[in-house]
Amino acid sequence: MDALLHVLVIGVLLGGIYGLVALGLNLIFGVIRIVNFAHGELVMLGMYGAYLAYSLLGLDAYVSILVVVPALFVVGLVVYRLVLQPLHGESSMQIFATFALVIIFQNVVLAVTRGEGYSVPSRIAGHTLELGDVRVTVSRLAILAAVTLAAVGLHLFLQRTMVGKSIRAVTQDRQAARLMGINVERTFMITFGVGSALAGLAGVLLAPIYTLSPGIGGNFILAAFAVVVLGGLGSVAGAYAGGMIVGIVEAFAGYYIDPELKQAIWFLIFLAVLIVRPSGLFGQPGAEEIGFREQE
Amino acid sequence: MLAKGLKHLCTAAVLAAAMTGVAHAQNVIKIGAINPYSGPLALYGDELARGYQLAVDERNASGGVLGRKIEIVRGDAGNPQQGIAAVDQLVTRDKVDAFIGTYISAVSNAASDTAQRYNKLYWDTNAVAAELTERGLPNFIRVGPNAQNFADMSVRAVVEMIAPALKKQPKDLVVWLEHEDSIYGKSIADIQKKLLEQKGVKVAGEGSHNFKAADLTDAILRAKRTNPDVWLQTGYVPDDNLLLKTAREQGFKPPVIELVGTGDTQETLDAVGGDYLEGVFVVSYPRPDISEKYGPGAAAFLAAYRKAYNRDPIAPQSLTAYTGMKILLEVIDAAGSTDVAKVRAAAAKMDKPLHSYPSGFGVKFDDKFQNTRAPFTVIQWQGGKQVTVFPDEARASGASLKNTPRK
Repeated sequence: MDALLHVLVIGVLLGGIYGLVALGLNLIFGVIRIVNFAHGELVMLGMYGAYLAYSLLGLDAYVSILVVVPALFVVGLVVYRLVLQPLHGESSMQIFATFALVIIFQNVVLAVTRGEGYSVPSRIAGHTLELGDVRVTVSRLAILAAVTLAAVGLHLFLQRTMVGKSIRAVTQDRQAARLMGINVERTFMITFGVGSALAGLAGVLLAPIYTLSPGIGGNFILAAFAVVVLGGLGSVAGAYAGGMIVGIVEAFAGYYIDPELKQAIWFLIFLAVLIVRPSGLFGQPGAEEIGFREQE
Repeated sequence: MLAKGLKHLCTAAVLAAAMTGVAHAQNVIKIGAINPYSGPLALYGDELARGYQLAVDERNASGGVLGRKIEIVRGDAGNPQQGIAAVDQLVTRDKVDAFIGTYISAVSNAASDTAQRYNKLYWDTNAVAAELTERGLPNFIRVGPNAQNFADMSVRAVVEMIAPALKKQPKDLVVWLEHEDSIYGKSIADIQKKLLEQKGVKVAGEGSHNFKAADLTDAILRAKRTNPDVWLQTGYVPDDNLLLKTAREQGFKPPVIELVGTGDTQETLDAVGGDYLEGVFVVSYPRPDISEKYGPGAAAFLAAYRKAYNRDPIAPQSLTAYTGMKILLEVIDAAGSTDVAKVRAAAAKMDKPLHSYPSGFGVKFDDKFQNTRAPFTVIQWQGGKQVTVFPDEARASGASLKNTPRK
């Protein structure tokens, strides 16, 4: 029984990690309809941002959020404006472009660091809370809190603010939104910026847990894509719930079945959901086709 | 008339230039060094090349080999395709006489195969995959240890050093075997299991994990519930670090932690911190702190390294690379050439006892041209430093075990 609870806690905490990485990815995917393969690299940049903030300014990882998240927002704006916007209307070219970004970001970081694995210390991250037999570290609890806050915040942002409303309008129908006077390009740019900032947030919070390497984004991106499709394209709640499902399944499969098989097991669930509900658990049916329909 | 004279002069100049070129080529033995010099493993590729260079410099300073100077030409290869391309290029463009390498086993496999097509020697100092020598490739000779040796040394350390330190008989020991799930970790764990059970040690369980996994808490909890005396992990740097951090967070306190292959560099110290690392054992390449009796010349290597590069070695592999190059140059000297058949014959005749070289190696090749006298050593993390503790004779005077069993 104790073990059951323990594994559940591990799964929820892991789900927080996946959900956090998936949140920004889902926003970009849902709104701009770009499969952003470079999302993992934006997370990676966030991690190295935390390292830079620590080594240059002496900031604790959690304090560096104040610097790194806005910086990644700007990186997102620039990337969208310089790389993706000129390719507007050519969705397959945009996908190739995000692949190019993967290679560029990885290699630039590689060239600067020579591939040496960095660690970001944090005074608070390593502390553990003991609840009976179950031990939880502050670093993972922080991620769970952050993904919950970010999901709620993003939801409110999309529902309550004008920018959020314009993002939703653009998601639903680009042409009609444009006719209503919404600047679609600017909305896309802001969306990409917010998505990148969320990746940056994920990066900073993950930095104290892992050993940084230029290719580390790839470790999360496969799971994040599964989370996005599982939860539903463009759905904030979907990213959150999808993350939890993948995390919990992985933890149970890893502990009770075999750590070697855990990815295979959640991919099976992923495939099953895709067959039964192609729009994902929380997505609007047909949402997966909107972007492509419009470009005809 | 003048024009004609000029023409002759030009011809003469060209001829002269061509002849010096030939003469230059004859005076130099060129060795192609195949390693990753760009990409994520560049740090380690460079480290091997530094070891090679120090051995070459030393030899050149005393007149070279067969009256010729040695020159290293780098061939950058981070994957098998690049390995093939690098060998092609070094043979056709740079006219190298032989090859040395390799940090990555898969690259060694492809590159040595290609070198065989040009009938050039491939002398491996660092690649560990066991199957490399199983291929029976006539140009391939491995002077360094292989993966089997990782398993051998890790089990020897458990039986001969760790059991006495825990005041237990081997048959009373319980070991958990953790490994990353590729052929590398799996093949080593299989041998470890067999050897441990031969010695009567109980293997409580075996866990395998992906070294890129986002979470390894499940792996730690599975090991923890068996309450092992020794937790033995074979993997790479990212999973070593994540496992150690997770073990600390989950309150998993096995009396002994032994890592195989990685975990003995600054990267792990930064990630885990000196406090938790205190007392952790790592089976890895011999380090320059081994006793002079065990590895004669190790201290001189360290001094030369510091002088040339103004720092301590980044990773211990450079000492093995240095030793491997030293032995290669001796073999070429004995063979009288870099011709594959002659080098092979000379290598087969070599018979040097253990502790003949700076890394503690001897030389005796088996019929597959695997050096049988190239053991790994075991270090223990002590106060944020890596201290060689096993085999006993490798221990520097005054070195003793710390924090064993772990508190």
